[in-house]
Amino acid sequence: MSGIVWLASYPKSGNTWFRMLISNLATEGDRAADINDPDERMSIASARLPFEDVTLIESDLLTPDETDILRPRVFEALADGSYEVPSTLPWRNRRDWPTILKVHDAYTLTPEGEPLLRAAQGAILVVRDPRGVAPSFANHMDCPLDRAIALMASPETTFGMLAGKQSLQMRQKLLSWHAHARSWLDQEDVPVHMVRYEDLKRDTAGVFHDAMHFAGRRITRGEAERAARLADFARLQAQERAKGFAEWPSRRGFHSFFRRGEAEAWRSELSREQIARIERDHAEMMLRLGYSLVEREAI
Amino acid sequence: MSFHYRISGLSVASELALPGAIRVADPLDSGAEVTVRRVREIAPVAAPQILGPNWAVDGDRFFLRVPRVANFLITAGNDIAMQVEQGIEESDAVVFLLGTAFGVLLYQRGRIVLHASAVLVGGSAVLFCGKSGAGKSTMAAVLNERGYAHVTDDVCCVDFDGKGRPVVLSDGRMLKLWLDAVTEIDARARKGAAVRSMIDKFYVEPASPLRVSAPPIAAIYALREQRAPLEAGIETPAPLDATQILRRGLYRARLMATMGLSATFLARVMEIQKQAGVHYLTRPFAMAAMPDTVSRLEAHWRSLGLIGTGG
Repeated sequence: MSGIVWLASYPKSGNTWFRMLISNLATEGDRAADINDPDERMSIASARLPFEDVTLIESDLLTPDETDILRPRVFEALADGSYEVPSTLPWRNRRDWPTILKVHDAYTLTPEGEPLLRAAQGAILVVRDPRGVAPSFANHMDCPLDRAIALMASPETTFGMLAGKQSLQMRQKLLSWHAHARSWLDQEDVPVHMVRYEDLKRDTAGVFHDAMHFAGRRITRGEAERAARLADFARLQAQERAKGFAEWPSRRGFHSFFRRGEAEAWRSELSREQIARIERDHAEMMLRLGYSLVEREAI
Repeated sequence: MSFHYRISGLSVASELALPGAIRVADPLDSGAEVTVRRVREIAPVAAPQILGPNWAVDGDRFFLRVPRVANFLITAGNDIAMQVEQGIEESDAVVFLLGTAFGVLLYQRGRIVLHASAVLVGGSAVLFCGKSGAGKSTMAAVLNERGYAHVTDDVCCVDFDGKGRPVVLSDGRMLKLWLDAVTEIDARARKGAAVRSMIDKFYVEPASPLRVSAPPIAAIYALREQRAPLEAGIETPAPLDATQILRRGLYRARLMATMGLSATFLARVMEIQKQAGVHYLTRPFAMAAMPDTVSRLEAHWRSLGLIGTGG
């Protein structure tokens, strides 16, 4: 029994970067892991393939609530090893290591009242200052900043729901930015190891090393440092420039996925009014996570 | 039995209307190969040999549960019983009967089932496989519009003819298309009922119905979205990759294993691979790119001798 550990985060909070750090544990010498190696659709909890493999039911013939009823069973099959995510990545198939699986869903209950994501033995929760998330979220959704800020404040926000067409992944309830964080931090089923994006920027190797130990992967300090070097943001950007990024289809136009990666860039990207709005929407959780409110101080 | 159909080459007598399947005008007198019944209750499988989260296998009985929708019992490759959950319309459950339940039944009969759509090109079947959302149905629908007859959608049952050639048992089921595809290929006139009341996916009558019963397979394309670093085009994978494509292309591949069919199946999958070429078709998802994709396919079919150089 190898188990699963969630790599949980609100979108645009460093989840992909964190997965690139993990991928770089498996390469040899000075070779960086290819950003196009991890397969988004398989390595995320909302992927359709594992769901259909385990339940034998076509996911897009079910309503989102009906899929939620069965999703815990899929995670159990992944956790007890009766189903393995098809993968070409050697680290994921090492049986003594738990599978680390990306998830954007908030920690919610299914329509039958069961916790959707209880099957994991732990969760690395990556959080990021919502003022840093907003510009990146707008880029991701290809929408104006104000719209991104409104989505982050809405308890109804979901991924994987498109009217009249199939979405790549199954429906994920994101909730608002603060409700997402709260859902993970306040549940009592799955032990959580929280990582702040800003801390990961500041001390990548150290923060990554500790998170891996939490996840049951006893890597050395040296391995963490090497992964941090190979998955350095500038290197990820260079790879995207050279070859493109499979998780970022060309139909998204010219925006790049690995955008800025700067913890404090929001100071120049948001207006004072936008900063104030985000702080008003999420003040309590921001303070809980140690993000100080600048506009409140100013006012 | 009130309704008669031919599905994946089998004559089917059903107590329920099966939207999505095409009715047979003159049912055989000698009795159908498959019966479909509605029942009030399905007893759980008593001593399952294999147990999934929502399904169980006990010898030649296969139990399947779609939570809050329906339960199915598929027996001995010739009978499907459906029990609809309270408050659910029968029409909201039938899509699972034609999909997973019928797939199980075909496996019980020892048939090879690919998760693929197929059209007829110069008398042969050309298959498109890929995971859910890969665009199998849309590809087939667009080619139907261009006059290539519809062979099947979603469930593609393969058999071998007298000469040992792999053939597709013509299915006679309609396409299932999302609303955006119905609109984009302008198939609104042939759009039927929604596959389920809550879902924007519809049965669509094929533009060019099939008149051949078991066309031999001439080519199998694995659909890939053109995403970096992949380029659009058709390429032929190495034999080992081709085998992998076909194994992954099996309809609900896990079923095959649970039903103890693996060894026999792999030999036959290898045979399909040997006789029908396996290729990658990499193309952008956007409908605007479809004409380019069709031209590329037609050029490929000319090079394979499936259609004449005239078009």
